[in-house]
Amino acid sequence: MSPLTAFAVNPTSLRFETQEDTEKVILFLRQHFIVNVPWILGTILLVIAPTVIFPRLFHALSLNMAFPTSYYVVGTMFWYLATFGFALASFIGWFFNIYIVTNERIVDIDFFYLLYKKFSEAELTKIQDINYTSGGLLAAVFNFGNVVVETAGEAPNIDFELIPFPEKVVETIRELTERGEGGSV
Amino acid sequence: MTPAVIPSYVLLTLKIFSIVGLLIYAVFAGVLVRQEQLMAHVLEEQFQPIIRALVIAHLIATVVLLLLAIILL
Repeated sequence: MSPLTAFAVNPTSLRFETQEDTEKVILFLRQHFIVNVPWILGTILLVIAPTVIFPRLFHALSLNMAFPTSYYVVGTMFWYLATFGFALASFIGWFFNIYIVTNERIVDIDFFYLLYKKFSEAELTKIQDINYTSGGLLAAVFNFGNVVVETAGEAPNIDFELIPFPEKVVETIRELTERGEGGSV
Repeated sequence: MTPAVIPSYVLLTLKIFSIVGLLIYAVFAGVLVRQEQLMAHVLEEQFQPIIRALVIAHLIATVVLLLLAIILL
């Protein structure tokens, strides 16, 4: 499994929190890689800014002040360090937001702004209904969408947002529930 | 046209703001390391060591830059 994997069937060398010894991961999902395009473009812009944009900006503003060279050195280093930090935090935010389908349950692990974690799960026997939506030009071209799993009782619904191959995810979960491992889907 | 000379109190103010800003950024870098540890506990995956190395390298680079700012500015 590569670090950019967003859809994996029966993945190996993977383990998640609270996974039981007899529990097997059937599907491993992340949001489609296309959701990373905005921050990637932003990072590219930030990288080229000091060499392309700033000289033109300073010339246009007619700034005629000579700071000591050390300020330019530290300033430029901080700029690139902050750009790297932005890219790293954005990548980590995508990397660790995962959706898992096992032979016993479905799991949704979300991290918000790096600091807040939300762990949701629903046993296959509790699944009442499952459907998916996919709309828009990008979703049609790159085949990604949202899967909503409705559960019985007070358990909250589980939303798989912007995942690749939503129809395969629905089919897989439906097969798991119909195989007699539970559910009324 | 000769460039304007910047007064020393302006440079001192700029230095203080730069160091405070870098300190705040160092806190962010430290939080990133801690959060990666927590996230790695949730999901164990083979790419983990590389992400850990990247966040730690980021923190070290931040500390080095902070020291550079204190010394050079």
